[in-house]
Amino acid sequence: MSLEVRELHVAVEGKEILRGVNLKVGKGEVHALMGPNGSGKSTLAYTLMGHPKYQVTSGDILVDGESILTLTPDKRARKGLFLAFQYPVSVQGVSMFSFLRAAYNSAHAQSQPTIFEFKEKLNEKLKMLGMGEEILNRYLNEGFSGGEKKRAEILQMALIEPKYAVLDETDSGLDIDALRIVAEGINKLSGPERGILLITHYQRILRYVKPQFVHVMYEGKIIESGGEELSRLLEEKGYSWIKGYKGEEVSAEV
Amino acid sequence: MSELLGDFSESSIKEVSTSLKEPEWLLRFRLKSFEYFLSLPPETNPLYTKYAYVSQFNIPDFPYSGSGRQLDFRSTFEGYLIGNETNIAISANENVMHTELEADVEGRGVVVLPLSQAVSRYESRLREIFSRKVVRSENEKFAAFVNAFFNTGLYIHVPDGISLGKPLRKLRLTDRPETSIIDQTVIEVGEDSSLVFLEEEYSKNDSDKAIHASNLDVLGGRNSSVDISSVHMLGPEVVSITNRGLRLDEGCRITDSSLYLGSSVSRARTNFLLSGRGAFAEGFEIFFTDGKQRYDFETNLLHHSQDTTGSTHARGVLRGESQSIYKGMIKIVETAKNSRSYLAHHAMILERTAKSDAIPGLEIDTNEVKATHSASVAQLDEEQLFYLMSRGIEQEEARKMIVLGFFEPVLSRIPVEETREGTRFMIEGKWHREKRRLVDRISVLGFAEEARHEVRQKEDIFERHYKYR
Repeated sequence: MSLEVRELHVAVEGKEILRGVNLKVGKGEVHALMGPNGSGKSTLAYTLMGHPKYQVTSGDILVDGESILTLTPDKRARKGLFLAFQYPVSVQGVSMFSFLRAAYNSAHAQSQPTIFEFKEKLNEKLKMLGMGEEILNRYLNEGFSGGEKKRAEILQMALIEPKYAVLDETDSGLDIDALRIVAEGINKLSGPERGILLITHYQRILRYVKPQFVHVMYEGKIIESGGEELSRLLEEKGYSWIKGYKGEEVSAEV
Repeated sequence: MSELLGDFSESSIKEVSTSLKEPEWLLRFRLKSFEYFLSLPPETNPLYTKYAYVSQFNIPDFPYSGSGRQLDFRSTFEGYLIGNETNIAISANENVMHTELEADVEGRGVVVLPLSQAVSRYESRLREIFSRKVVRSENEKFAAFVNAFFNTGLYIHVPDGISLGKPLRKLRLTDRPETSIIDQTVIEVGEDSSLVFLEEEYSKNDSDKAIHASNLDVLGGRNSSVDISSVHMLGPEVVSITNRGLRLDEGCRITDSSLYLGSSVSRARTNFLLSGRGAFAEGFEIFFTDGKQRYDFETNLLHHSQDTTGSTHARGVLRGESQSIYKGMIKIVETAKNSRSYLAHHAMILERTAKSDAIPGLEIDTNEVKATHSASVAQLDEEQLFYLMSRGIEQEEARKMIVLGFFEPVLSRIPVEETREGTRFMIEGKWHREKRRLVDRISVLGFAEEARHEVRQKEDIFERHYKYR
């Protein structure tokens, strides 16, 4: 059981961004995908979710052995895929509550939860993430601070309970307290029934979330993979020791 | 009155006036208005003439009708009434068929009468009102048209110091082809009084071709409170013209909410005349078009006195090959110091074949004011759609959430719950291409699992935006 990316090539407006990505995230695993700006990390995230702007020119994406390439984003979500956005958009006029209800219902279509079951579940998740109920009475992401947006993404993940979650730079723009809360949320949600792909630019979230696998992406390819020790090496030595890396040094960032 | 009066001519006016036994001053008023109707172009403001085509139509396409036809209103209005309505005036085409007031409302001196009866019963009062009408013939061709040719209408009077707890309703149904409904309605609310007025217009048959033109004068007395709501759901072959003038005396508060969903052509003019110190007006114009509908709006906030507050919010969604033009002007005269004014028009286009334009403007003759206008026309945001779909929400459902949500920041400001919820219900119907009526909401509500999770906007619009100084 896995989320698998095979020899994936992706172009945006005719320009090739991903140039043969291979990756396999099994259930119960936490993978970190690192790499400098512009290496293609977010492109991979959007492509996995099926953003129409990203054209898969060759390769495949499989969820539990089944290709999802032809599926629209909503169908991918219902296959168990989730993307926590780096920059979640706001939608005026759609309350957080009605949005979360709609998202929850489409993820749990078989169980037909009642409004009371839903509210109970929602309150439990809000508590876990240290969020107040008043957020439910606001429009979706509108006027949210950076920290509120990221927490709201994790809240959605907690409610939807996806099989495979891709977290795109969930740590960026967070102060240290918000980072700790978000990281704790991710830790609580990781487990044998879920695979997590944590995309990050910096190492600092890896102090709180411990991946078993670390990958380095550069110029549209994964150029290095290893265990947790790889992230420590990156922190100490930066990217430049990795064969083929020619770019800027980013490891000093904390 | 005969069934068919023929054409829109001077002789028809005389015929109508005679058959209604109108006093001479009213005939003179009609004939003077007819002159304006003949001489005025459809668009007088050179800034707007470029868009005059949007509401273009042919008056000779319609006959001038008048009728004394008697119908049983209960069978005519089956499906449009629950059956126990009170405080209501019901019209089929141009006939005011039934008015009913609760005994205690009538006992407190509230008047709801067909205009022609009011003219004979309260002649001096009506003469006074007509001599200083808010909806005037001088500048607007179709206001003059209604002032010349009106064949129906109501006079509503709430005396001083009377608050109507329940809303007063006006319901009109057109059920006949080749009809002209020309409505002159006056609402007069006395000092320290309050009124909630809910107006609905429907067509029974989609194929009925008709012209529906109305003038509405609202006279808000000192410290009165008036909430007006109109639902325009006339059929796809109906040309609809609305001219509304709302005059606010000192300390008067008026909200005016209009929902435009029906008609082939809709031309609406609204003037808020903030004539008394401290008057407060808030307008809402909400529209949702499809097919080849053409909507033409003009709304003006006219600040004539100190410490007045005016705002108007227009918001609409366009589908198909429909189009809209919105013209809005804030005018603050030199003596209207310390006034605040806000005007906004936001439209969303769902297909590239639809078109929407807006021309907001300011004319300000004093420095000590705050005035803001904003306008935008945008397409449905693909990133929002992707975001909602990434949470498992199907494309059509996601589009619906975004479109209905687009109206919310304006809807949530409407103070009367019945209007707010009714508007939501009707807009949702338009999304599903259903022909809904407000009365259907009651049966739908009966089965509702939960109340809507509503986000009320309490934002101060005057603090949020760029300020004109």
